Parts: sequence; structure tokens; C-alpha cells
Amino acid sequence: MRVGALAVGRSGDKGSVLDLTLVARDEAAYARLARAITAEVAQRALEGVCPGTVIRYECPGLLALKFVVAGALPGGVYASLRAGMHWQKAAIWALLDLEIE
Amino acid sequence: MRTVGAGAGFAGDRIDPAVALATSGLCDAVVLECLAERTLVAALRARRADSDAGADPRLRRRLTPLLGPARRSGSRIISNLGAANPAAAARAIVALARELGLSGLRVAAVVGDDVLPLAAEIAWTEKIEGTLLGAHAYLGADALAPAIEAGADVIVTGRTADSALFAAEIVPILDGRETALAGALTVGHLLECGGQVSGGNFEGPDGESLSAAALASLGYPLATVRPDGSAELFLLEGAPGRLDRLTATLQLLYEVHDPARYITPDLILDFTGIRIEETGRNRVRVSGAAAQGRPEALKVSGFVERPGMIADVEIGFAGTGAEARARLAADVLRHRLADLPEEDVRIDLVGIDSILAGRNAGNAGLAECRVHVSARCPDAEAAQAIEDEVYALTLSGPAGGAGLRSERRPRLDVVDGLIDRARVTPSLVWETVP
Repeated sequence: MRVGALAVGRSGDKGSVLDLTLVARDEAAYARLARAITAEVAQRALEGVCPGTVIRYECPGLLALKFVVAGALPGGVYASLRAGMHWQKAAIWALLDLEIE
Repeated sequence: MRTVGAGAGFAGDRIDPAVALATSGLCDAVVLECLAERTLVAALRARRADSDAGADPRLRRRLTPLLGPARRSGSRIISNLGAANPAAAARAIVALARELGLSGLRVAAVVGDDVLPLAAEIAWTEKIEGTLLGAHAYLGADALAPAIEAGADVIVTGRTADSALFAAEIVPILDGRETALAGALTVGHLLECGGQVSGGNFEGPDGESLSAAALASLGYPLATVRPDGSAELFLLEGAPGRLDRLTATLQLLYEVHDPARYITPDLILDFTGIRIEETGRNRVRVSGAAAQGRPEALKVSGFVERPGMIADVEIGFAGTGAEARARLAADVLRHRLADLPEEDVRIDLVGIDSILAGRNAGNAGLAECRVHVSARCPDAEAAQAIEDEVYALTLSGPAGGAGLRSERRPRLDVVDGLIDRARVTPSLVWETVP
């Protein structure tokens, strides 16, 4: 199943850090997401998109998972060579479009 | 109880939501968050050229329709529109208020976030490579407290934690416990991005979004906070939007990194025990914020100007084979720009792989496709050469190169640092309309 059918998501930044959030639609979806999207899985999903190592934080009380990537935006958003500004706001689709068990 | 409204979530945000909040008469304060890093950098450059400049250039446009309604309803305006020069912003607001006939209006400017003179004492997370244009510490709600106590009609700041702009209004009614202040700061964090908590920048788990008409007149949120720091977030009667557990939780966790340690100047917040309950249509109750004390150091944003510029150039293709011709054009440019250092050039296809490196394929048969090139260039001549290479494709590249555009951006790194909070001493500058 597509992650985006189980959760909503948003991505942002602070300095050179990429910050991704998934919020599950219910408890069953949270359990499924927490099982499937390990830090390693998220890391693979972001391969080629940005550098850096993924750290995962669990928020069972909020039915949410966070994935934080230090150094993903070297020099911050304004130093980026991508087309236009703020590519990181679309980065959550790297996770929303994953297919999981 | 105290009610605060979010009238803007960034420098270029819509003007009308703040006017609607001020006109409602429900808000003790309408807060306008208008200071992204880029905005502050532009302001610093303006101030460098003219010591009276450096306030937000949109100040007049934003406040002209707002000051009158806010005065009539007794809503305080709190904003970081001061950018790089809060004292100049206060003077500009008083001049505007005078034109609007708002005699007696009192404006307080919060100064002291500019820590460039203390640059030697800042512990940077990365090496500074280039010229330090500015260094600004994030001030907390305590920096605004004297202005609130003294009853300022407008408070204008420079770099302040966004959450603190809201919390400052709430602090006087809190019960004094750390969890209450944590709650007020949490409310500030939930409101600081305006419409992003109430249905903007949001797609539901079934792919649902608000309609174009609803997004075009999206309601911006307000919150009523109790002395224990718990709060109800809601929208004005009839305002379109979506404010529920999903939208509120996404905003709660937005850009916070470790949710058990979200560092603000006033407190290190722990969001892991927060409860978000839907208490009505477009209404949620938020409670359970906790904290792990106050940080010893304040965060500093440093803006580092680097020599040269970034040239950002595009060319488009349309019709049958648009994608193939765009790919061909990109390959031509890879040949032509092969002498540049690999890490200084990026060539990609807008519509295919320019944002997420083509992770989500399935875009075959595009009707249009654009080739994008960005390159770090030592000077304007080098930037011109990159632009010329792309423009030359119209004669010497694949068929039908069209829709060209280019821009040059100064090179700018944002570097974070920390400074001992005892070294940062905010103060107020008052201006009053005669």
C-alpha cells in the first residue's frame, strides 16, 4: 500500500537540516508505518535526492513519525543549485510514494 | 484567557487574513510572522546602503489596512516586521499611523537581536567561509514582556523566535508553571505558519484538498489560551479551512527535529505528551505540553556572503518528442559545460527530475519539458557565459528550444551558531503618535 494512503506528510528545513513528518490516519496505520519505514528505509528513499544520514523519531502519542537528515541542504536553502527555491518542501513525497506491506 | 490570531506566516503572505482577525474583535493580539532568513538578508543589505533602511519593505502595504481595525477592536499588533531595523520600523509605523489619524498610538521596538558586534563569541556549527553579513540571535518572549506590560499598541521586533511573538501576549495570564509557558509556546508554534495549520499546504490521506475557492479565502487560525497553557485553536465563523487532528499534528511537528527537545529561547519543549482533540468543526483542543528547562545558549543565524553568484537558467521544449529533445539539450550542455567543477553545476529536467531526482517516475509522454541549469560562478562574466550556453541552444541545439528564462542569485550561506544568553541584552525603543 502507498504510504500516502495511510498518512499525511510535510517536509521542511532548518539551516542545513531536512525535516520530514508523517502523521498516520489511525492507530493501525501508525503501527504499520512504524514497522515498515525504518530509518534505513527512509534513507534509501532519499538516496540521490540529498546527502546525509536519516534519524527517526517516534511519536506514538501523536501517531506520528519524524525523519531528520542533518547536512541534507549544504549551506542552507539559498545555496541550492536546484531549479528555483525550496525544493525541500516537496521532499516528503519521497516517503508518501513508498509502497509498504 | 487570552486570544491570539495568526495574521501572516511569512513576509509575502496575504494581507486580508490579518484584517479579518483584527476586525473580528476576538483577538487580544494579531501576530504577523514576516521574517524568513531571506527577508532578513535583503533587509541587512538595504541597511548597509542606508542606515535608516532595513525594516520590512512591505510594512506600509501590510499595516495600512490593519492599524485602524486593530485600534477599533483593541487588538494589539505584534510582528517581526522590524527585520534588520526595528527602531526604523517603529518610526515608519508612527508616520503611517499619523497619516491614518490614529493619534496616541504607542509603538515599541524590540532591539538587541543583532549580535554581529559579538561575532567572536559565537560558536558556529560550521566554518564561516566568506563575509559575515549579519548575525542575529533568536530572542524569546521575555524580550517583549516589558512592552506588553506597558500596554504597547504595536510591538515590532527583529529576529525573535516565532513562537515567542505569540507567547509574549499570553504570558501575563499564565499560572506561572513551566508547563503553562510550554503550552503558550506550543500555541505560538502551531500558529506561526498561518494557514498551514488550517488546510493550506495539506493533502489528506485520500488525496483530498480544499477547493480552489476555499484555498483562495483560507481562514487563518486563532487560539484561546487558558492559564494552564492549554488552548482551543479555531477559525473565524464561516471562514473556509480544515483544522483537525491531522492538520494540527503536522504543524505541531513541522521543522522541530527531535519532538522531545524542540529548542526555543524560552524553553526546551517536549511535544511527545501533547493531546490534540477535535472539539468541533475546525476546532481542536491542545494540551499536555511539557518542557525540559531553559536553554543556556541562544541560537544565532549567521548570513555569509560568498564571492560570485549562482546563474539559474532554463529553456523549454513543447510538442511531440518534447522530453527527448529536452534530454538531448541537457546532454549538449553537459558537453559544453564539462570544464566546470562537477559540484558547481546541476543540470536537470523540470517535469522529470529537478526536485526529487526522478524518484517518482511515471511521467512519460510529457507535453512540455524544461531543461534547468544552475551553476556557481565566480563573477558576472562567468554567469553570462552559462546563460549564453543555454540561449545558444535555440540556434545550435535540439529543435524548438523556447520559453527561456534566467536569473542570477548572490551566493549566500546560512550558518547556525550559539551565543551565551547573558551576552544578549534586548531593550525597547518607544515611538508615539502625537
